[in-house]
Amino acid sequence: MDAFLPYLPSLLATAVLLPLVSFCVIFLAGTWLGDRGKPAAWVATSAILASTVLSFFSAGIWFAVHETPGAHASHDEHYAVEHHAPPVITGDGYPLASFAGADVSINYYIDALTILMFCMVTFIATCIHFYSTGYMHEELHPVVDHEALLANGESLRRPGRYARFFQALSLFCFSMLGLVISGNFLMTFVFWELVGLCSWFLIGFYVERSSASTAANKAFIVNRIGDFGMLIGLMALWASLGTLNFGDVADAGSGVFSQMRSEANHYALKTPNGMVRLAAADRIDEMALASSEPLSQEALAAKVDASIPAWREGTTEGDSTKVGYTLLMIAGLGIFCGCVGKSAQFPLHVWLPDAMEGPTPVSALVHSATMVAAGVFLVARSYPIFLPEVLLVIACVGCVTLFLGATIALVATDIKRVLAYSTVSQLGYMMLALGVGGWAAGVMHLVTHACFKSLLFLGSGSVIHAVHTNEMPHMGGLLRKMPWTGYTMLIGCLAISGIGIPSIVGLPIGLSGYYSKDAILEQVFSFRNVNPVWGTVFFGAACGGACLTAFYMFRMWYLTFLGEPRSAVKHDHAHESPKVMVVPLVLLAVLAVAVAWPIYDWVGLPTLSRTIEQARPTGIWQDMAGSHWSVTMPEESKGHVAAVKGPVGVLAFGAAISGILLASVFYLWKTLDPADVRRSFDPVYRVLFHKWYFDEIYQAVFVRGTLAVATCVALLDRMVIDRLVDSLAWLAVSLATLSDRWVDRRGVDGFVNWFSRQTYQLGSSLRSLQTGSLRQYVMLIVVSTVALFLILSFWTYSLAR
Amino acid sequence: MTPLLAATSEAAINWHTVMFYVIALCACGFAVIVAMTNNIVRMAFALIVSLAATSGLLFLAGAYFVGAMQLMIYVGGTVVLLIFGVMLTAQKAFITMQTKAGDWILGLLVGGTFLAVLVQLVFLMPQWQSSDYQSVADAQLVAFAQELKSQQDRGEEITPQQRRKLELLAAKASEGMPQRTGEIGLALVGVRADKIESDQPGLAGYLLPFEIVSVHLLVVLVGAAFLARAKRHHHGGNQR
Amino acid sequence: MSFLSEPIGLSHYLAVGAFLFVTGVVCMATKRNALGILMGIELVLNGAIVNFVGFASPYFRDENLGLDGHLIALFVIVLAAAEAAVALAIALNFYNNHATIDVDRADELKG
Repeated sequence: MDAFLPYLPSLLATAVLLPLVSFCVIFLAGTWLGDRGKPAAWVATSAILASTVLSFFSAGIWFAVHETPGAHASHDEHYAVEHHAPPVITGDGYPLASFAGADVSINYYIDALTILMFCMVTFIATCIHFYSTGYMHEELHPVVDHEALLANGESLRRPGRYARFFQALSLFCFSMLGLVISGNFLMTFVFWELVGLCSWFLIGFYVERSSASTAANKAFIVNRIGDFGMLIGLMALWASLGTLNFGDVADAGSGVFSQMRSEANHYALKTPNGMVRLAAADRIDEMALASSEPLSQEALAAKVDASIPAWREGTTEGDSTKVGYTLLMIAGLGIFCGCVGKSAQFPLHVWLPDAMEGPTPVSALVHSATMVAAGVFLVARSYPIFLPEVLLVIACVGCVTLFLGATIALVATDIKRVLAYSTVSQLGYMMLALGVGGWAAGVMHLVTHACFKSLLFLGSGSVIHAVHTNEMPHMGGLLRKMPWTGYTMLIGCLAISGIGIPSIVGLPIGLSGYYSKDAILEQVFSFRNVNPVWGTVFFGAACGGACLTAFYMFRMWYLTFLGEPRSAVKHDHAHESPKVMVVPLVLLAVLAVAVAWPIYDWVGLPTLSRTIEQARPTGIWQDMAGSHWSVTMPEESKGHVAAVKGPVGVLAFGAAISGILLASVFYLWKTLDPADVRRSFDPVYRVLFHKWYFDEIYQAVFVRGTLAVATCVALLDRMVIDRLVDSLAWLAVSLATLSDRWVDRRGVDGFVNWFSRQTYQLGSSLRSLQTGSLRQYVMLIVVSTVALFLILSFWTYSLAR
Repeated sequence: MTPLLAATSEAAINWHTVMFYVIALCACGFAVIVAMTNNIVRMAFALIVSLAATSGLLFLAGAYFVGAMQLMIYVGGTVVLLIFGVMLTAQKAFITMQTKAGDWILGLLVGGTFLAVLVQLVFLMPQWQSSDYQSVADAQLVAFAQELKSQQDRGEEITPQQRRKLELLAAKASEGMPQRTGEIGLALVGVRADKIESDQPGLAGYLLPFEIVSVHLLVVLVGAAFLARAKRHHHGGNQR
Repeated sequence: MSFLSEPIGLSHYLAVGAFLFVTGVVCMATKRNALGILMGIELVLNGAIVNFVGFASPYFRDENLGLDGHLIALFVIVLAAAEAAVALAIALNFYNNHATIDVDRADELKG
């Protein structure tokens, strides 16, 4: 397999480009593919299938060459294991531009995380492509859209958009894979925007429904807010470091990561020289001015270099400011800001539930499994540049988000909205994990969540496909009608609740969610050991969230599949989905159960946790302490000691089980009436039902505020500026009239007319000279000649003397 | 040997001068007839005689080739052309078209003034009024003959070169050494045989004007043919 | 008869040329017939030729024009021929169109 290693970038690049090719083919030849666009599905599906094969082949090459490290959790004696920088392949694809000596190029950064994301994205995307060929079959024919009403109240009729759906899906796959493989922040940003664009296309797929187009615009605009912050972060990095590359590229010098965490500094995070220099610009000027004799450029640079360490550490006399520290913080916060938008974190989480207006496969692929995970992925990818302070902010945001999402999901009645808020909540979990130093836990939850959330969404899609409604109150008792969907969704619910048995034959056995959620809780617990105040809040939220997760997931499942049918018509109409939709469900269910099992290394395959462990960025294997705020991120293996694992395992298990039991009490055994509870906690219910009034607050504060400011400005415009401009224009017009009357008509025109009149008269008077008589002309010539002779001789002989 | 020029005796009539006066009188007289007559046919005839006489003047001035051309082109070509035109247009009404007396008086007055000015100018230069060509050539011949004679008296032989030079001088005195036609031909193709080579840097000949004139003539012929072509749909019957 | 024994000079030739010229001018100035005017032009050109040849003749001046004068005279003859051809064509055209060759009738373009 070593022999294939040099071709790894090309393989992955091919995997990236295949969906693009598919997009182009469908875009250019979609209408000629025939059969109402059905071949478009096969083009797109075969492209993503080929990408999957290539990705798994690349994974095979990668793991054959790079051994995954042993899980340090179970081997306490290996604590002092030597840490190395993770294996990474970087390289330049194509230089785009060069600014002031710094290159911007298309390059790649391949490590185990990239490989993992490739496999995950392509696999899930393939499942969803197959699923979509069944789910979207209505679009093969002209569609009567009952949710999009025309002005006269009739339903809209439009041609089917089967090919267009797969076209957008292909473009999305290309963008997502490009985002994963990109080797610098700029490229990441470009693909970041591309996935945003695809998201816009897909949310607004039913563009005639005003709710869909509004949701698409909302998602796009809210994301712009996050991207604005991201641009600030990128500018901070570019201006100070002169590069946006993640890793060291052979020709382009050291990348961002190695400038921040140099090998000489044992990979500890240190404000890079460039940032210190940028932040201390005025000190450098002062230094240049203070010296008695003029300093040469080199001498000044040497002097600055000498004092940079002191500035960085804040050890100069009388000034303990850590120069550049704030800039580094701004860069990290800026990058995170982009992730907040894309991953639907508080306070920009409002777009994700609305994005459920898109077709369900899109919700599964884009708005739960991959694209919204891109924010988490970017945090994981750029983890080396985050200061502990920034990480704390990330953790806080994640904590708030997970709590908000979970609480709103409790009362939602739309099946897709429940899943959407569950997604928001789970993304909050990931951010929380990353923020408290649990890099591996966060990434692991990203992968497992992608599996079971896509499964859940596809299942909900299957249900919606069968009963043609999103509302859970209209469902119920569907398990007998659609057993495959029901049981696969049950697996998904169990997985997301994190059900598992802490120890069987020395190994914890559970569904995939169990491993990742336990890892997160362990890390939060270990964080609580170091930072009691923050840690208690986080741990409480995380445990409560786990309980709530189990509750709302099982509430959804009970409401949908058990009990008596609440809508007889819909129930009679319901049927199991076709095979092409069920098979992906089963595949994903298998994945949701088994993706995180630690038993694969018995047969020599890399397990999920060890793969992630191999991808662990440089320097994330030691404690990180903030210097401004007293906060410490414990290194991750501290969460795996028995003193943490024991209580956390019990607590997590208890939370999940209690959540399930509570749901059963309410919705299965009906011991308690949910309506009673709703009445007794009416204010709370109302707040939750209105999603904490976020949309209303934003509407009131931002939208209305913007409109009010705009109205004021418009008023100012109309009353002051327009008047001014109008009066100026009137002045100009009257001036022009005056000048026209006096200068132009009397002066210029008069002169020109006078001149032409004179010329005409002269011509008329000279006209009579032209008699047309040849003889006269001859005479004139001769007379003139003689006269010339006479004048000349007179001049020569008399006057000139 | 034609006695072009008379002998050295002072009172003897200079026949060259006589010929000049006769021919010049002929040319001027017929020119006056051209100007004075109103009959277009007579005018054409008088013009032919005047031009032929002018060619005689050219011969007298030693320009044999130009004189020959004058005869051939004007008398043989241009005037035939003119007569052709006269015959085409010579209807009774046009053959004698009276000029008004006022025009006559005015024309003669102006022309007379012009002639007076010109003749006054022509005779302004004293060295132009007579030519000493003959006397100089005679003197050179006599001097050289006497030199040869004295040489013979001393008993020395006359060399072939000296004999050749004597012949040349004799020819110059008796025949006037006209320009050779061949030299004109060479000049028309760009070579000046009458000048030494160092005096003519670059192109001293008339090749380019010759070519221009040839093309010009061609254009003129085409243009004339175009202008004079028959327009049968207008005045088909008027052409004779 | 002393003028018959004197050799003629350049002035005589120039005088003849001037006379021919003035005769031609008078001819042009007095004729109403277009062909007559053409003949006047021929006379004027002849006067010029006589002048050129006179200046080119070696009999009258040592510093003569030589071959150049002859060649220019030749070109003048050629141009006169060309001019005669074109002018004749114009005259014929004029005659065709107006059925007259009276130049006094050709005044349609006068101002």
